[in-house]
Amino acid sequence: MRRAVAVTLTGIPLAVAVFGPVLAGFTNARRGPAYAFGPGYPLGTDGLGRDVLGLVLRGGLSTLALAAAATVAAYGIGTLVGLLAAGTRRRWMDETLMRPLDVLLAVPALLVLLLVAASAGRNAGIIVVVVTVVTAPAVARLVRTAALDAARHPAAEAMVLQGESWWAVHIGYVGRCIVRPLLADAGTRMTTSVYLVGAANFLGVGLPPDAADWAVLVDRNRAGLLLQPWAVLVPAALIVAFTLGVNLLADDLTRRRR
Amino acid sequence: MIEVRQLCAYAGETALVREVSFTVGPGRVLALIGESGSGKTTIGLALLGEARPGVRLTGTARVAGRIGYVQQNPAAALNPARRVGAVLREFARAAGRPARDAVAQALDSARIPLTWRELRRYPHQFSGGQQQRLVLAEALAGGPSALMLDEPTTGLDPLTRDAVIGEIAALARRGLAIVIATHDLGAARRLADDVVVLRDGQVCESGPAARVLHAPSHAYTRQLLAAEQHPRAGGSLAAAEPVLEVEGLTAGYRQPVIQDISFAVPGGSRLAVVGASGSGKTTLARCLAGLHEPAAGTIRLRGERLAAHLGGRSLAQRRAIQYVFQDARAAFDPRRTVRDQVARTAIRLRGMASDEARAHADATLGRLGVGSDTASRMPAGLSGGELQRAALARALLAEPEVLVCDEVTSALDTVTRNASVALLAGLPGTLVLITHDLGLVSAVADTVAVVADGRLTRYGPVDAVLAETMEDAR
Amino acid sequence: MTLAGYGLRRAGVGLLQILAVATLVFAFLEALPGDAAVAAAGDDPDPARIAALRQQFGLDRPVWQRYGDWLGGLVTGDLGASLRSGRPVVSLLGTAAGPTTVLALVTLAVLVPLTVALGVCAAVRAGGWFDRAVSSTTVALHCVPEFALAVLLIAVFALWLGLLPATAVGGGLLEDPALLVLPVVVLLARSAAAPVRTLRGAMIDALASDYVAHARRHGLPRWRVLLGHALPNAAAPAVQQLARTVDWLVGGIIVVEAIFAIPGLSAVLVEAVAARDVPVVQGVTVMVAAVAVLANLTADVIAFRLAPRAGVA
Repeated sequence: MRRAVAVTLTGIPLAVAVFGPVLAGFTNARRGPAYAFGPGYPLGTDGLGRDVLGLVLRGGLSTLALAAAATVAAYGIGTLVGLLAAGTRRRWMDETLMRPLDVLLAVPALLVLLLVAASAGRNAGIIVVVVTVVTAPAVARLVRTAALDAARHPAAEAMVLQGESWWAVHIGYVGRCIVRPLLADAGTRMTTSVYLVGAANFLGVGLPPDAADWAVLVDRNRAGLLLQPWAVLVPAALIVAFTLGVNLLADDLTRRRR
Repeated sequence: MIEVRQLCAYAGETALVREVSFTVGPGRVLALIGESGSGKTTIGLALLGEARPGVRLTGTARVAGRIGYVQQNPAAALNPARRVGAVLREFARAAGRPARDAVAQALDSARIPLTWRELRRYPHQFSGGQQQRLVLAEALAGGPSALMLDEPTTGLDPLTRDAVIGEIAALARRGLAIVIATHDLGAARRLADDVVVLRDGQVCESGPAARVLHAPSHAYTRQLLAAEQHPRAGGSLAAAEPVLEVEGLTAGYRQPVIQDISFAVPGGSRLAVVGASGSGKTTLARCLAGLHEPAAGTIRLRGERLAAHLGGRSLAQRRAIQYVFQDARAAFDPRRTVRDQVARTAIRLRGMASDEARAHADATLGRLGVGSDTASRMPAGLSGGELQRAALARALLAEPEVLVCDEVTSALDTVTRNASVALLAGLPGTLVLITHDLGLVSAVADTVAVVADGRLTRYGPVDAVLAETMEDAR
Repeated sequence: MTLAGYGLRRAGVGLLQILAVATLVFAFLEALPGDAAVAAAGDDPDPARIAALRQQFGLDRPVWQRYGDWLGGLVTGDLGASLRSGRPVVSLLGTAAGPTTVLALVTLAVLVPLTVALGVCAAVRAGGWFDRAVSSTTVALHCVPEFALAVLLIAVFALWLGLLPATAVGGGLLEDPALLVLPVVVLLARSAAAPVRTLRGAMIDALASDYVAHARRHGLPRWRVLLGHALPNAAAPAVQQLARTVDWLVGGIIVVEAIFAIPGLSAVLVEAVAARDVPVVQGVTVMVAAVAVLANLTADVIAFRLAPRAGVA
């Protein structure tokens, strides 16, 4: 049951985000009056008089793609650093790799985003870079812990005793051990990235204010919440549904591992 | 006064304890004797009116008044986040006794006089021996009329063991009805008025200690006594060349677990390393195998100094010292067949081609009683005993000069365990056994090293060390 | 190690962390293209004007000198002046910090008992319906974006049911507690999840421990065993987890204040970001980092007191 709920919650926003841009071509492209309902505008218009349905269909891909890009990049960097830190038998190298990350973890991620935006200006690319940088330490930490656990496991020690090479132990055994926890974690990292990208766009430091993006739509139209709730509620509900769904799916994956 | 009538315990359809009855009067001590898994702890918990999850009890176990309980490995019963004094007072108040006097009395009876400052400490600030007494004091704080002590002397060095036996005797003199569950026959002989000998949950024999322990009528009791009294005769060991020399070994994590340990293992000898859990014997074994990097000290193999960490040892050196893990299931990769994993030893360490290695693996596994089709399964398809033997086969395939076995019998049931003991006894080469199973020691070892609180307290031929222990026991 | 010794060592680490953040913030803005003068010049990027502004802000001096000033300013509580209004950053933040602090403290005041209640109740009947409900909810709420959740709640409770005010416009937070309900609920949704889960797990471990069985055997009342013997052990990891959520709470507060129009730090910050008022953003970042470091430090010291054995540095 929970599984079905999770799949539905994830599936709908994902489908809208991926296939929406194709379907958006069939919606009303003409501008109407602001915050109005009317024929040709199934979900009404937004503050700029644009068709809300079309905006919603076109607005999912940006948030999800930015978040996915940041997640993938964070995993690339985090896995590399984590494995290096776990694989080295030199204490100082482990420390040099992991200590700076501690400092980064001390600053709230959203603040780093705002700080960068304040100096570099509004830019979606920079958002991806910052989200990558603030997520990577947690990934590195996780990879390092999982890899160290696996490498200290009797099965790995038994392999070393058998004279197996470093590569056989670390790629053949440790590598395979950490794939599943990493996959389960990827789900929660994705929601973290969606959160940060969404918050940045909402606070107006990411995409431009007229962009068709769920988070931007919520921000730009919340003044009209009383007049025309759909322009705010539909994108907000889609974002919330996606987050809840991905979290539940990731949890499901973690549970089945046990 | 403790009265047990027709006590039975079942886990599903399996009977863990069958029709056990006994009575213990005030000031009397009864010893439940048997190996681990014989049902002693189940009976002990039944006295408290408890059963492990999934265990069903029938019959009666009545105690007049309160009963205090000291579990095996008592340190775990101390709350690490609470000051000891506060917990003692709380337990006394829960029994409706005036906290101040009850605590003073309990501390006095448990022979652990503490000042009020010391009472403000946390459990980890006390030594292992003090912790055990603290648990006893806590058990006494409620003013019980009976006591249940589970393995009170297991894993103690002879001096502490002596002191504990004295304390229990003193408590009995104060009028407490006491039940001890033990496999330490020496302690039973010194303490018990009555004995119940258990095997697989069934009473083999019961009666006054003087009769049962000196003129046993049941074959199993005789077997137990024989195992205790006839340790193997050791050969002339001192003459043999040492194969392994350990000098000044200190190792640990944040704090040292073992300190300044030195000894030499003569070639072909069978060394048993014994000590309480947490005494550091596993760390010592892991250092020998190169799995744990010591902070200081050297290990030499036939005079050749070994690298501290396995990564720095040559393949020949790795082949010379093999190690069998306590948890056999954890020591196998769940995603490859057992045969493939075992055969890797022959491929890597003896340079065989994979077909040849597989044939050798099958032969060794077969010799240890693991059939060819069993070995072709994934580890999940094997029982704990089978995996243990497969792990042994994996190590033996290297034809090591020294085989280090860490508690390899502790997770096995009695039958499997006995088979493993016979197997170990018949192995060639030098053997280092980490164990707290005294049956295994007397059946296999010719040399014993006793580790207590991270230090080597005794080292010598098994006869001498066991004789000393025996002397303490009398 | 004694509590005082541990606390001192931990405070030293905390100071180093704040110093590192301050350095990073400084170095980071140095590395980026364009400086405060370019930003202040705004739509009028006339080189002469920018040069004048540089001189005015002291940006023409060597890096190490400005770094020294920046650190010195931190110690003496001088974070520079806003590029826009010219007001000292410290006084700007001082005024705005009021409502933010109220919101944060009220959230914490609800968060802690809520965590204990949910975590303990779920652990007591682990696997039961309540536990499953709590577990599913806390899992699902990980990183739910506050702005989206908040508008949904406003639509339901303020617009549809008309029970609560939609924004805090025109009211004092303390005079009218109803204003705080929705913001606090939104903040709790995300920040309660992780500590509740940690506490639940730790409580389950503690309840299965020998020392809890030992305490039960002494006939202590059930609540006493739970709260007096199991909880002190389970609390240490939960307290540390709670401190980690301060990070999220700060991010959440920025968004929530913006949504509910609470005139706190968020307003200052968002405005400063839009105007690229770097000293203000710098000041807020360092101040918030200091609060986060302080929260973690406090939590570690409390955890040390709760579980003296662990002694993690």
